[in-house]
Amino acid sequence: MRKRATAGGIVASAAILALGWHLGADQVAATTVPATGTAAGGAATPSASSGATPSSTASPSATATPTTGTGTTKSSGKAAISGTFQGTTEQTQFGPMQVEIVVAAGKITDVKALQLTNQGGRSVEISNYAAPILRTEALNAQSASIQSVSGATYTSGGYISSLQSAIDKAGL
Amino acid sequence: MTVHVFDTMGTVASLHTAEPLSHVDLAAVEAIFVRYDRTYSLYDAASDLSRVASGDVRLSETSSEIRDTYALALDWRQKTDGLFTPHRPDDVVDLSGVVKALAIDEAGTLLSGSTDDWLLTVGGDILGSRGVDSVDWSVGVVDPDDRGRLIGIAGLGSARRALATSGIAERGEHIWSRNGRSHYVQATVAADDIVTADVLATAIIAGTPDDLDRISSQWDVDVLTVDRDGAMRGTPGAAEWTRRCAAAATERASTPSV
Repeated sequence: MRKRATAGGIVASAAILALGWHLGADQVAATTVPATGTAAGGAATPSASSGATPSSTASPSATATPTTGTGTTKSSGKAAISGTFQGTTEQTQFGPMQVEIVVAAGKITDVKALQLTNQGGRSVEISNYAAPILRTEALNAQSASIQSVSGATYTSGGYISSLQSAIDKAGL
Repeated sequence: MTVHVFDTMGTVASLHTAEPLSHVDLAAVEAIFVRYDRTYSLYDAASDLSRVASGDVRLSETSSEIRDTYALALDWRQKTDGLFTPHRPDDVVDLSGVVKALAIDEAGTLLSGSTDDWLLTVGGDILGSRGVDSVDWSVGVVDPDDRGRLIGIAGLGSARRALATSGIAERGEHIWSRNGRSHYVQATVAADDIVTADVLATAIIAGTPDDLDRISSQWDVDVLTVDRDGAMRGTPGAAEWTRRCAAAATERASTPSV
């Protein structure tokens, strides 16, 4: 785990991504899905700590273009890379998967796991998982500026005492 | 802003428009709901579908519109691996799971012919439209544990047009869970169309956490759920609703009351 600790400044998602980047999209799928309960196992490789540098297996897409490298980066000694990079396609439980990263000035700014085919025949991000949300104090509906409310269906009788009724009366 | 409220399908519909609609337009919208109700309601013994349920008429003998609706529901059953189904445990064909959404959808098409800015809410299912220069409608998601409170505020009209919530709380809405007891007590889905939002909200309530993951990853939707312990889960898009809600609460708390 020491190697992971040395990853310094790299956020967890980027580290997971870098790991998946090198080990294949399957790992990304496994590590980003809370429901599977499959942990990354701390198998971070030294190359994962570099994070911002696509490995040699990466095939830069046409959109990968060098930039003027504005701003400061910690990856001193290397040309600041910017662009969108796609990994190789892997077969996973979700179907063919491909990882895409967006790099700006040598830093990974976005990570997407693309599912290449689904029922609609279009690529979707499998990162659209419902993650736990901490419950903050709920908002008293009377104090919100809303025009409608969504909840379990109310009956005609239940409408009278519903939020929607109050909103409708207020003519918001 | 004007609001027109009318009873339909055992619940109440609220239609918000930026400009008042003509009586003719309002009557046409209401007529759509009346037509769907007369055709599909199982609470009306004279409806076409009630006559199928009672055995007076075969489904294959009904109008092509009813058979198309049934085919649509079967298609959704297949897409959701049976989580959504038009078949009640007693084998009665119940199309209420798609009919309200279909009526809202048709009403929306009609409304868009008259105005760019409208928001139609029918018993908690919402479809909205916004003109290019207007900000989105703000729509609250009710806290299932306290219906006077909100757990999220979503924007509706431009990027997302439809929002639907299924729950086991209020009407005992007939959601037939494969597992008996639902894991989630409330599921809210935002999608580009109301049928998708409504069906998937129903499917999530009937399903497991694994089903939720599969649905949120397979469709272009935002999902917010509340489980039996009150714990919430949300896709990135839905997490934004809760942040907006929390920000409004904070703002409220820091503003001295007048």
